[in-house]
This record gives sequence, structure tokens and C-alpha cells, in this order.
Amino acid sequence: MKYEIVVGLEVHAELNTKTKIYCGCKNSFGSMVNSNCCPICTGMPGTLPTLNKSVVDYAVRMGYALHCSINNICKMDRKNYFYPDLPKAYQISQFDIPLCENGYIDAIVDEEGHTKRIGVTRIHIEEDAGKLIHSDDFAGSLVDFNRCGVPLIEIVSEPDMRSSAEAKAYLDTIKATLQYLGISDCKMQEGSIRCDVNVSVRPEGSTEFGTRVEMKNVNSFSATVRAIEYEAARQIEILENGGEIHQETRRWDDIAGKNILLRSKEDAQDYRYFPEPDLKTVYVEESRLAELKASIPELPNDKLLRLMKQYKLPYFDANLMAENPDKADYFEAVAALGSCQPKNISNWLLGDITRIINEKNLTLADTSLSAEKLAEMLAMIEKGEISTTAGKTVLEEIIFSDKTAADVVEEKGLRQMNDTAALEQVVRDILAANPKVVEDYRGGKTNALGFLVGQCMRASKGKGNPNIMREMLEKALNG
Amino acid sequence: MEIDIKKIAKLSRLAIEPEREEKFQKDMQNIIDMVEQLPEMEAGDLSPKVEDAMALREDVVEPSLPREEVLKNAPQVAAGCVVVPKTVG
Repeated sequence: MKYEIVVGLEVHAELNTKTKIYCGCKNSFGSMVNSNCCPICTGMPGTLPTLNKSVVDYAVRMGYALHCSINNICKMDRKNYFYPDLPKAYQISQFDIPLCENGYIDAIVDEEGHTKRIGVTRIHIEEDAGKLIHSDDFAGSLVDFNRCGVPLIEIVSEPDMRSSAEAKAYLDTIKATLQYLGISDCKMQEGSIRCDVNVSVRPEGSTEFGTRVEMKNVNSFSATVRAIEYEAARQIEILENGGEIHQETRRWDDIAGKNILLRSKEDAQDYRYFPEPDLKTVYVEESRLAELKASIPELPNDKLLRLMKQYKLPYFDANLMAENPDKADYFEAVAALGSCQPKNISNWLLGDITRIINEKNLTLADTSLSAEKLAEMLAMIEKGEISTTAGKTVLEEIIFSDKTAADVVEEKGLRQMNDTAALEQVVRDILAANPKVVEDYRGGKTNALGFLVGQCMRASKGKGNPNIMREMLEKALNG
Repeated sequence: MEIDIKKIAKLSRLAIEPEREEKFQKDMQNIIDMVEQLPEMEAGDLSPKVEDAMALREDVVEPSLPREEVLKNAPQVAAGCVVVPKTVG
């Protein structure tokens, strides 16, 4: 029997506000253990939380970015559970009225730019727990409370994904959106985005959902793909052998590449939610909502699809630029000048320019390469005034200086030789000097042509127009 | 409303000796019975109201407690952390 995989995801993203969600302690990763703590975030009796305004703002912006409706009058709720990293023994979260709900993501599922709409059930705000540190040569566990009260948004999807690839596309979109909004650091290795994965399978064509299994501890997007594939295969094998799936929570072990039972449905946690008595109604004024909505930039998938359409760029190029909005902005500034081909701009920007700034650990803003300067250089290449090879030399010279491409071409004598008579002389000389290669070419080794073009380039000190010389060589060899 | 004292003890991680279960069961049940005798509140509209809105806190860092203060009341401390029984998963 053929099966269909059904996936739903719960993503927790830490927000990069300056302070924690319910107190003024610093929200930062990597501080000395237990140094960003106060009586509120360590759950001392008699303390009262105060809700951070930026947390509400950030979550509302994410809500707008994911096309949610905003419950601008909502409340906080208390979720009770006992664990040593949670000093209050409850988490202040949201239960029946999340700040944002009923949204969606149009994830891009292939390189043609096709999209799949995945529902976003809700986004709510809550606090993170502390961190337990274990060591084999220590009998107990150690608790670092620095992460207690770090603000989180939990983004819950509908069970709309039908493969691990769709799940990956959904996660990539969430991450890129968080980065565009500048509201999360998105560092997987620091745990700033975490994911719980719900998987079920059903016979293809069935409209009812199978029993779902929840997986915890999935710590990277690539691990999500592996976890989904493993769990789907496990469930299909059980069904094929006449067994049934039990609703349970399993723990993903990415190193072992498998999951293990954490708890069955019978042991499901009883969180005893109730309205948080220490906080009153959360209210975002309509005027503030309008401001927050207006602050949403063009979102990554919209930008990617627009770059593909407007500039006829391939997915690969558009995706790299959508991942780096500063590059996309720069690309569009150069393209707007209208003096060179968009694909040519993209090739240079994502190729040599990116290589140079990466080698120096810099960004585009650190260079002196104005859009006009790059456009001038690319126009010279496109008009055949300088070769691509010469262009590389020019780029190195102008990227961090006040010089223009014209200055460097003049200074270094890089103007391309398009004089047919002079080029024909070069070609004749090279053919005469390489009788063996000529013989090889005529004997069928057509890749010998590249070698001869290279020799001509060298003989012309890099100035000869390679396209013209290639044509001349082909004519002479085949004639 | 019936009270399951064993479940409540488990949720709160409280160890209750079996011989005292009956006593706690009875005490808790008395509390519940007493609360149940309170006049029924009008159910009405319990949704959050704008007039009950709280002021939100500006996102400005305030000093945290010195670590010695944070850890002062912990029964056991090691490497700047509170020590708890080994807890994994």
C-alpha cells in the first residue's frame, strides 16, 4: 500500500529583545552562568512579573508577516509542570487566546518557484526555561537560570505538510522571515530556534488523519528532515505488519538516527492551565497595530519570487539574494541603472564580490563599490571594452578604493584588443607554435581548443578579445 | 468534585506516606466541599477586557542580582549553579 506522510510543526523561536519577557534582566546568550537572574525570573515568592512591550511588538510583527489575525485584546495563562529548569514550577504562556492566529505561509517547494500554502494555527508568547547541565563525573545535575524568562514565540502549524521536503521549506521560510524582521538571532547551535515535530501516516487517498506521534529534541532543520523520514518509515512498518500506531511522545536522537519512547498518551502531562493572576489583560492599541503592520518589509519568499520574475534570474541566484537582503538591495540598485544585464550583475555579485568580502570577513557596506561603479565596469565588459579576466583585476582595484573602472583600465592598460588584424597575427603565431595540439584537435580532441584560446590570451597579455580569437581559431582549424 | 490525592501528589512531586493518604484525601475533600458551597458566580462574559489592560514594561535592561545572592538559599551549589538530583530527558 502507498502511504501519505502528514506533518505538523511547533517552532519555538527566542526573541532578541534587550530584556527578558517578565523582568528587566539582560536577555543574552553565553553569559556567565546564573549572572542574568533576579528574584522574578528565579521564581522567588512574592515577586510580580511585568510584560515586556517589545515582546508583544515582535510577536505581532511575526503575526502580520505570517498573515495572521491579531488578537489585540488577549491574556496570559499559567501552564503548570514540575521540572528543575523551571523554578516557578509554571510557565507563563498563552492558552485559549493566542496573540496571533489563523495565518499561513506560502513555502517555495521547487526551483520553478511553485509554492505550497501551509496554515499557521497560532503564534503565542511565552517564557523559556533554564538550562540543565549534566556531567558523567558528577552525581547531580546543575541548573543555570540565565535562560529562564527569555522571550519565546511558539508558532504552531496546521498538519498541512506532506513530506520532509515541505517541512524543510516551511522551516526555511520561518527562519528567513524572523531574520528579515530582525526579531530572532536564529542560531540553531545556540538553540534559538527549536522544533517539535508531529508525524502521522495514512493510506494515500484517505481523508482521515492517522494517529500522530510527537517528537521532541529536534535541534536543527536537517535533523527535522531525518526525524520525519525515520518516524514515517517506523509507522509504515508497524502498519504493514498489522500493528497500530499509539499516540505518544518520542525523543529524537540525531546521532543514533532514531527515536525512543519518552511517554505514552496515558502519561501525558496534565498542565492545569488557568488565567495568569499576576498579569492583567494584554492590549495593543489599534494605532500601534497599524504602525507594526506598516513596519513589515517585503518578505523573503515574496522577494525571491519577484527577483525571479522581474529580472529573469534563476532560483539559485534569487534565493541567495533573498537570504541576504543587503545583496538584493544592491543588486536592484545596479539593475536600476539599466546599463548592464541583470544576470551579469548577479554573477559578479554572488561570485567574485562575495568571495572578496567573505575572505576579508566584511559586508557590502564596508566596500567602496557604489552601484554606479559596478555598473560602469559591467557595461565595459558587456561592450567588449575589457575582458572578463581584466574585469576581475579591475574589481580588485576598485572595490576598496575611490578609483573607477575607467581609471584602472587606463592605468593598467587593460582595454581589450578588438583589432582584427592584430588578433589574427596572434592566432597565426599560436597555431604555428603548437603543431601537435592542432593535430590533436583535428584528430577529434576538440577540447584542445580551450588550450589554444588560453595560449592566445597569454600571448596578447590578457587583452585580446577571447571570443573573437576563439572564432578565428575555429575557422583556421576547421577550414 | 472528587479528589485523587495520589495524582495531586504526583503532579506536585510530593511524597506522601501511604498511611497518611487517607487523612490528606479527607482534608482536601473538605476544602473542596467548602469551596463548592460558595454562591455560584454569574458565568457571564469572562473574556479579557480593554478596561483591565495593564501597562507594558519598556525593554530597558535593569541590573540583575549578584550571583552570590541568586544562589544564597540553594541547598547545594557547584560551578556557579544550583545542584539538583540528576535529571535527564
